[in-house]
Amino acid sequence: MKALGLLGRVYLAALFVFIFAPIAASVVFSFNSDRFPTLPLGSFTTDWYARAFSRPEVWEAIGNSLAVAAVTAVLATFIGFATAYTDFRYGFRFKQAYLALALLPPTLPLVILGLAMLAWLSRIGLSGTLSGIVIAHVVLASPFAMAICRLRLSQMDPALEAAAWNLGSSPWGAMRHVILPFCAPALVSALCLTAAVSFDEFIVAWFVSGLNRTVPVMILEILQGNVDPQINAIGTVVFLTSMSLVIAAQFLIFRRRSNG
Amino acid sequence: MTLLRRPDPYPLLWRLPLLLWQGAFFVIPLLFMAAMSFWLVRNYRMEPAFVFDNWARMLGRGAFWDAYWITLWRAALAGVIATLVAFPASLVLAFRLSEPARRFALLCLVVPFFTSFLVRAYAWQVILAESGPVNAALGGIGLGPYSMLNSGFGAMVGYLTLVLPLVVIFQTWSLAAIDKSLIEAAGNLGAAPARVLWSVILPAARTGLVLGALFAFIMTFGDFVSPFYLGGSKPPTLTILIIDTTKSGQQWPRAAVVALTMIATLFAVATAALKAAYGRRG
Amino acid sequence: MADPLVQFRAVHKSFGTYVAVKSLDLDIQRGEFLALMGPSGCGKTTTLRMLAGLEAPTSGSITIGGKRMNEVPPHQRDTPLVWQSLALFPFLSVVENVEFGLRMRGVAPKERRDRAMMWLDRMQLKGFETRRIDQLSGGQRQRVALARSLVTEPEMLLLDEPLSALDAHLVIRMQGVLTRLQKELGITFVYVTHSQSEAFAMADRVVIMGQGEIAQIGTPQEIFRGPRSRFVAEFVGRNNILSGMAQGGVLTTAQGAVPVAAGDGAVEIVVAADRTFVSRDRPAGAAIRAAFLSEEFAGTGIICYFETPDGAEWKAQVTESQLAALQPESGQDFWLSWQPGAEHVMGA
Repeated sequence: MKALGLLGRVYLAALFVFIFAPIAASVVFSFNSDRFPTLPLGSFTTDWYARAFSRPEVWEAIGNSLAVAAVTAVLATFIGFATAYTDFRYGFRFKQAYLALALLPPTLPLVILGLAMLAWLSRIGLSGTLSGIVIAHVVLASPFAMAICRLRLSQMDPALEAAAWNLGSSPWGAMRHVILPFCAPALVSALCLTAAVSFDEFIVAWFVSGLNRTVPVMILEILQGNVDPQINAIGTVVFLTSMSLVIAAQFLIFRRRSNG
Repeated sequence: MTLLRRPDPYPLLWRLPLLLWQGAFFVIPLLFMAAMSFWLVRNYRMEPAFVFDNWARMLGRGAFWDAYWITLWRAALAGVIATLVAFPASLVLAFRLSEPARRFALLCLVVPFFTSFLVRAYAWQVILAESGPVNAALGGIGLGPYSMLNSGFGAMVGYLTLVLPLVVIFQTWSLAAIDKSLIEAAGNLGAAPARVLWSVILPAARTGLVLGALFAFIMTFGDFVSPFYLGGSKPPTLTILIIDTTKSGQQWPRAAVVALTMIATLFAVATAALKAAYGRRG
Repeated sequence: MADPLVQFRAVHKSFGTYVAVKSLDLDIQRGEFLALMGPSGCGKTTTLRMLAGLEAPTSGSITIGGKRMNEVPPHQRDTPLVWQSLALFPFLSVVENVEFGLRMRGVAPKERRDRAMMWLDRMQLKGFETRRIDQLSGGQRQRVALARSLVTEPEMLLLDEPLSALDAHLVIRMQGVLTRLQKELGITFVYVTHSQSEAFAMADRVVIMGQGEIAQIGTPQEIFRGPRSRFVAEFVGRNNILSGMAQGGVLTTAQGAVPVAAGDGAVEIVVAADRTFVSRDRPAGAAIRAAFLSEEFAGTGIICYFETPDGAEWKAQVTESQLAALQPESGQDFWLSWQPGAEHVMGA
């Protein structure tokens, strides 16, 4: 253990460098004039951004991604909260199976989920639509919302809900006046995180999307062409969006606050 | 809680959203996909049926089994490598950093998990290119240039980028939860640090280590981006096979067969791993 | 006697196979301060929760003000509860917490704010209205919880071990606050506690519960001086129990024979520690021999522990000067005695 010291910290730093390298590189290269980036770097330019964001299909894809992410966030947070509350408050038969159902989706390979969604949504006529993508993303993202809300609920004095009833509030009133206000930071955090999950998700979207492309799908199609630094520009914007959402989510749920 | 004489809608209304949504859009699609694997494809059209054609054709192909073993092998390798690479870092995080510093580091690690893996893979394509910065730096000290992409190496870089954050988090969580007095007691009884590591720390952190490796396996097994963009997609993995079969071949039932074999494999591995993680020792 | 406010009739509560409350019959009078006291698991908290509607009785009936309450949900009852954890809402300010009950009843904003402020003033919390709960001390939070429960002017207040988290000196102060408050308001207080000192200090009547049943009901004085069963005698106060066969005014026990004012038959008597005298020489009257074990400082006196030859433990309360005169050492034999009639006969 004593051998860890300086060597250990250097190793840890190297690991962090490895993990964050692609993100950092993307940002750096997006401002780099070279088409095939190498060392030493070329000159600073915002050309790639100008070119990428003058393309209407890029804006359309961004619009689609944002719309899908927003709707997904709301639905996934609702389902996640409902599930977390059910787990917090009630015991019932098959509860284990219920929770397994709630937490299973992220463990399944996205390619399989994509295929299954494609087949089923085609069957019910929703393939190729943004609604189809929303549906699939809600399945994927609600476990995250559930985990966040469950964490927040575990910080709540269970007597708070009963105190609300005791003071004259019906169960629905207690939900509205006590539980939701208490969970507010978790709800916003869940909205941010589920939006991030949806915004970045591409495989299932690719399977399901057809013509209505979200940003990652569009990136994919550009990629299949050739190396193009415009992808760095788009990628950097995508990173900034996701990272802001995730950091906001973490800030909200882990901020030091009083719990009474 | 309170019993009311008439059935109470309140609990049901909170229990149902999950059941309805996941039922309709998770369980049923998967069941449908399973059923679809028994359908017939005639003249590029699917027909409901119950035949084993798709199974026979897919499982009878050498190419399928090549893909199966390479996927399995790579996932196992990634699981092992990720566990080993992450471990020293997790030790430092768990035992050398203060609680706030550790929490901050782990929160930082969570961030890339939620960024676009596709864009990160593309960034690696640029970084590792033959004329890219890494080779340029190596050239500066007289090495290379190396062709790092379109190979198992490239794919492994991708896998590690994908799974390392999660593996570090699992391991650190497990190590940090070890009762410090156990470690002190071992040292007090005369055990050298290496011995303490082997006999006290590793067994106590078993759950986190196994779970981390399991998730690394699962995520690698199901990854499409790394083998396709960084690994050169030859030989193809099961995920690439599914996509080829679906997108270009339109052979959805056959793709379903591949998907089902993947699920079965993952289930078997997960069950074994969970037993190893939580099972009782001797 | 006027109509009781609350009536428990044959109330039985079980959770699966575990029986929490067995066949409870209890009347709670208007305006009285009633304490439910007993060791953990005796059913006192379950009884309180049934009164608040948070648990439903498995069988039997509970009436409040003559009305059967079994099917009435908690939010339709007027039984505000002061919780052990206080359950103050951390996302609301102090005044918002206090006016919560009025808000749920649809009282207009101005009126409910005024009434809440009046109660804060009464609880000496003026100036604290906009504070957050975590900015208050333990004693201040207690008073906010009280104000919150009383602002709706209920007929009855339920309290579930509200002082258990307070420091000792605050407990004494709060006991005074609660007693005065109850007398001023004239409403019924139902107070659950496992602490004897709290129950005896504040309550008009105490209900001792054990294993889901009522062991004894009475005023603090009645219970303290007259426990009716071994369970109560061991749980309340510091008592010594002597059991044996009585005949002709003499009780023959394993510790010796003593005069007793009881009829013939199997008898148990209780001698309180503060009525037990310690001496080196055998006194006249009722006395037994025991070996000194140890002493314990108890504030108002010193408790000496003894062991009789057959292994029973006895306690005697002495003053500091008495202890100095005796100079007891471990293992030395003493005589423990009591005045005639100081013993309490528990019956067979």
